[in-house]
Amino acid sequence: MIEALFNQPNYLTAKKALDAVVLREGAIANNIANLETPGYKRVDLAPSFETELERATASRDPQQISALQPTLAVDTTAVPGSRDGNTVHLENELMQMNQNAMTHALETQLVSGMLSRMQMAITGKD
Amino acid sequence: MIQILSGIQNTSAALTAEQTRLDVISENIANAHTTHGADGKPYQRQVVVFDTALQQAMNGDGSMQMAPIQVARVEKDSSPPIHIYDPGNPDADASGMVAMPNVDIQEEMADLISASRTFEANLAVVKNARSMAMETLAIGKH
Repeated sequence: MIEALFNQPNYLTAKKALDAVVLREGAIANNIANLETPGYKRVDLAPSFETELERATASRDPQQISALQPTLAVDTTAVPGSRDGNTVHLENELMQMNQNAMTHALETQLVSGMLSRMQMAITGKD
Repeated sequence: MIQILSGIQNTSAALTAEQTRLDVISENIANAHTTHGADGKPYQRQVVVFDTALQQAMNGDGSMQMAPIQVARVEKDSSPPIHIYDPGNPDADASGMVAMPNVDIQEEMADLISASRTFEANLAVVKNARSMAMETLAIGKH
């Protein structure tokens, strides 16, 4: 019934992607905070999430998309830049942070646009 | 409490830690020529030691549990004082040598830049988190 309004695959995908972006912001904030912590290994979104989201979106199955949960994992590809074993590189993190902010802006606009289009369909006015 | 700005606690802890580091560096620079401290010896350079990351455990919801960033301790640099020839100095020994603090201004300045850059980076995170939160709050407005 009313849930069907919010169960469109595109809307769910945008919501999940937004969840992932917010989780990633937390991870990057942590990485930058631990810039000087000896032995710290940078964390990021688990690399499997993107492929899983793509697969779930391709299936167009609302349940499959809703069940997806973005998770964080230690970035195993990062290499330490100094002898203390810390794998955070400031310039890289700042770049990722900006990229993440842009993605966030895009996704909030997507969600907003979907909601306002829905409202337009219901009320007939913009 | 609701987490509007995600990951901000650790950022503020890092800001505090960097502030301590900046304080210690400024103390070192200020005392670069202190040949006679409270204990009668030349000033010894101080170094901030950050806590090592021990915990990087996963939470059930996929977020990471981080150990808080903190300054473990402020240690004294035990490298020997630098001896310079200055017979006019009241702290000079019989042969006219004065033990100067083991502070290297160039090194301190490099440290100072590194600490303030890290501080700025954490501030950028706060700014970014804030603008992201504002965007999120604007969902549905048009």
